[in-house]
Amino acid sequence: MAIAVSQSQQSVRRARKNSPMYRAWQRYRRNGFAVAGLGWVILFFIIGIIGPWIAPYSYTYADFLHMHSGPSWQHLFGTDTVGYDVFSQILYSVRYALEIALGATCVSFLIGIVLGLWAGLSGGIIDMIVMRAVDFMFALPSFFFALILVVLLGKGIFPMILAIGVPGWAGYARLIRSLVLSMRNGEMVEAARALGAPQWHIARRYMFPNVVGSMVVSLAFGIPYDLTAQAGLSIVGMGLNPPMPSFGNMLAQAGANILGFPWLLYFPAGVFAITLLSFLFVADGLQEAFNPKGGM
Amino acid sequence: MFYAKFFAKRFVAIVITLAAVIAISYIMMYCSPGGFMNTTQLASSLAPLAAQDPAAYQKLMEQFQLRYGLNLPLWHQVLLYEWHTFTLNFGNSMQNPTLSIMSQLKTALPISVILAFSSVVLSVVVGIPMGIIAAIKRNTWVDYLVTTLSMFGQAIPSFVLAVIFVLLFGVVWQNVLPVTGWGTVPEAVLPVVSLAAGNIGVVARYMRGSLIETMRQDFIRTAKAKGVKYWPLVLKHGVKNSLTALITVIGPQFAFTVVGTVWVENIFAIPGLGKVISTAFTNFDFPLAITAVFILGATIMLTNLAVDVIYAVMDPRVKLQ
Repeated sequence: MAIAVSQSQQSVRRARKNSPMYRAWQRYRRNGFAVAGLGWVILFFIIGIIGPWIAPYSYTYADFLHMHSGPSWQHLFGTDTVGYDVFSQILYSVRYALEIALGATCVSFLIGIVLGLWAGLSGGIIDMIVMRAVDFMFALPSFFFALILVVLLGKGIFPMILAIGVPGWAGYARLIRSLVLSMRNGEMVEAARALGAPQWHIARRYMFPNVVGSMVVSLAFGIPYDLTAQAGLSIVGMGLNPPMPSFGNMLAQAGANILGFPWLLYFPAGVFAITLLSFLFVADGLQEAFNPKGGM
Repeated sequence: MFYAKFFAKRFVAIVITLAAVIAISYIMMYCSPGGFMNTTQLASSLAPLAAQDPAAYQKLMEQFQLRYGLNLPLWHQVLLYEWHTFTLNFGNSMQNPTLSIMSQLKTALPISVILAFSSVVLSVVVGIPMGIIAAIKRNTWVDYLVTTLSMFGQAIPSFVLAVIFVLLFGVVWQNVLPVTGWGTVPEAVLPVVSLAAGNIGVVARYMRGSLIETMRQDFIRTAKAKGVKYWPLVLKHGVKNSLTALITVIGPQFAFTVVGTVWVENIFAIPGLGKVISTAFTNFDFPLAITAVFILGATIMLTNLAVDVIYAVMDPRVKLQ
């Protein structure tokens, strides 16, 4: 009895060790940059969740007595032109940046998955229309669509999510359509069907593991892109309404006031740059892990 | 004949796309809350008038609407606007009613075009050698250095780099390079470099991958067996064949750079189209904003068309569609 149990456990373990996910993780772990990036990304998420509780000041609290003060124990990263505490501003910005970037990526992905599935599964005229729409979206940088959408929707968090997310669907739609087409006509699926596998089994065992890699990779590349777009909107003055803190606002402000107060730049720019790098390292590591042959 | 048909097809596609962009952005702007007359600055300066003399205020608003055709039905406005835009009759902006948009474009567009093209050229000139070196020194420290640097360039957006440059050259190394303005070569260095950094990374990575792939091909082995020396082998046989594939990344990179100019011009206070766009959008100056998007979109699409033609000319295996 005991032997039988341990054997079945062993086979489960072996199966897990041979699962595509496990092998992908093994490959991922070998990439030092990707692991370091993942560490920072996790830290970033934790700060995003607990940031408002550990922030020493509210982002609306202006210390008028210590405007333009350099880094000190009272104000860890210094204060800005209005007397806002830069450290607290960064902690809050992390949360808003994450909310907007994740929300926008989800919006893009949802629209993309719906349209991509629709185009790939129905084919014909619908496929053509969707693909023309994709071409249309790729003809212009989505940043311009985002600018126009901000004018229409306003400068809150939810409008930002829509303004950045809605124009970003085209890439996901194209990816998902191509995955659907390759799966639908793939030999592996055909073979499974010939063996009499039920539809859900085919979807779970054959389609999902082959699709999940490319989708995770494209999402991982999407998040840093949306972070950049969001900060870029602030640079042109179309980002989150001040006093809502955001990396873009801080960078724009630092750029304007840099000559006298360089610490306004060090910390926001540093955190932002490291974050973008980490997300890119993670995305790159995922790409290598899921697709060891291809990529660069 | 074939080229004529190809150009006609692509040109029609570009015109349709631009018409759709104009219509969509016009309708969105039309529906947006808070028009030009309600933006904070103007509204506050017009408030006393509205309080003292409502009739005069009303008349002013009507004149404003009449001047920009805002009293027409929406479909009429859109069609009229399309017609005016495609005949390059952009009219006047709302912010500077006495200045025609055309005259603003004439000064702003060349600046942005020079900025974007020189950064693309710089990225090609620097990125290709970097990629070649990384590819032939594959898996050595040189390769890792180049790959890591290009990752940095790709990850850090041009506006972050621009702000860091302003810090470095405005505070640390003063009087080495100017950090604001436009017109002389030194003033162009920092904007162009901060725009090019991301593209250098992309070009270098792409060149590296493409060259490694090419060097695995059979014809390289044949050439080596024939006794071709190492450098001619790499440069004449390898690089030449990898370059054609590289052209395909130039199109998307150019679009990416155009977005970058909008950011970089705002940070370095360059009076280009990007600066025009940001002031137009923040002031709800719709005619100017839509025209600027139209111009940038047209530039991007025409560049893409040119890239496709060059690709087909350089690589006869590619067929234009």
